[in-house]
Amino acid sequence: MDSLSASTAESFRLLFSGDAALWVIIFTSFSVSVRAILIAAPLAFVVAFLMAHLRYRGRRTMIAGFSALQSIPAVVVGLTVYLVLSRSGPLGDLQLLFTHTSMIIGQILLSFPLLVALSHAAFQAADRRVWETSVTLGAKPARAFLTLIHEIRFGLIAALLAGFGRIIAEVGCSMMVGGNILGYTRNIPTAIALETTKGEFAQAIALGMVLLTLALLLNGMLAFFQGRGVMSS
Amino acid sequence: MSAIIHYSALRKTVHDRLLLEIDSLEIHEHACVALSGRNGGGKSTLMRIMAGLEAPDSVTLTLDGQTLPWRRACQRMRTHVIYLHQQPYLFDRSVTDNIAYGLRQRKVSIAEISRKVSEALDWAGIGHLQLRNARELSGGERQRVAFARARILSPRVLLLDEPTANMDSEAREQTYRMIKRLKEDGVSILLATHEFHTVAHLCDAHLSLESGKLHAETVDTAGAERKIIPYG
Repeated sequence: MDSLSASTAESFRLLFSGDAALWVIIFTSFSVSVRAILIAAPLAFVVAFLMAHLRYRGRRTMIAGFSALQSIPAVVVGLTVYLVLSRSGPLGDLQLLFTHTSMIIGQILLSFPLLVALSHAAFQAADRRVWETSVTLGAKPARAFLTLIHEIRFGLIAALLAGFGRIIAEVGCSMMVGGNILGYTRNIPTAIALETTKGEFAQAIALGMVLLTLALLLNGMLAFFQGRGVMSS
Repeated sequence: MSAIIHYSALRKTVHDRLLLEIDSLEIHEHACVALSGRNGGGKSTLMRIMAGLEAPDSVTLTLDGQTLPWRRACQRMRTHVIYLHQQPYLFDRSVTDNIAYGLRQRKVSIAEISRKVSEALDWAGIGHLQLRNARELSGGERQRVAFARARILSPRVLLLDEPTANMDSEAREQTYRMIKRLKEDGVSILLATHEFHTVAHLCDAHLSLESGKLHAETVDTAGAERKIIPYG
């Protein structure tokens, strides 16, 4: 008990004293996950829009596929990316394994199905008149698409937050393709896992508090934006 | 009066049911035509096809005397034909931004947009609403914004899909007044309604859509006898 309270006290000291090692880990986490979500989101929105508005063979299968892919374990994605990027893999020559790029690739693959599924729901629920009004007022398809994005922005922001929540907290993929290299690819979840196995609870608790605060913040924002989305529809 | 658009051999099926089979439909300059028919009879589908928002199974389309393929005609029609939904959709932004939307798509200069928007606000009598979010407006106010947003683009043809549905009498009268002023401005109007007598005073002609076919109708002064003649 004494050890737990001492670790907690130390974790607060680490957090608020600006401990460089701790803040590098936090920065790495955010840097990788923000870049992953910014790359994945535009493509996911376009795919979701096409799935919602075009009628083609295999559309239902595609929707079901993205829905199923949401539950794919992070370690499986990590394993796949590892095999592709490892020295003997098809993209081994690029030497991307254990870099930020490999972590970003893994997190893009993890967040993409969730982003597509959630934004598809938002596009599906969008009023058909948005597109038609834009077009009848002379908007080109790209402009009408941007207008539609603006009209359903709260649903799409909710999708972004949910996707970000999924990747910022995942351990398996980052551990496998990032390698948990101190000061480079070590992020919050991999650092927590490592420090816990070493019995160094102070840093693990400090990072856990950051993740917990982030989770609460994301959920609060998610509830807010989902509420706005319903109200504005 | 010369025809702006001529749709011929228009055919549309929905779920294997023949919804529209129209031999000929012309929209003439400066004409206001009522389009009546029972609910679900295809009025909205016909208007959406005429606006290029929905593709027919087949049609021959002539625009200003030039026969064009469907896709090209749709692109050309966007500058001439504007369709207003039964309940117009206003974007989640200010009234001014809503009215300026179409001009921005046409890359009109900011100074010109400002001048035209100001004029459109005055025309519709909604200057006091210009900074309000369009979503906060009442049904009648929304309709006025939608009319101003359409008029600012100087369309040659306006397709109005039951514009007075679910309106109180005062808002309905306001809408009729705006339609009359648009007609005076030289805009050709096709006005869908399921109660022709309510818009008879605005219209020069009456088309009736029955079993997917169009009929031109004449109504005697008492409105008691109806004579239906094949149209087209």
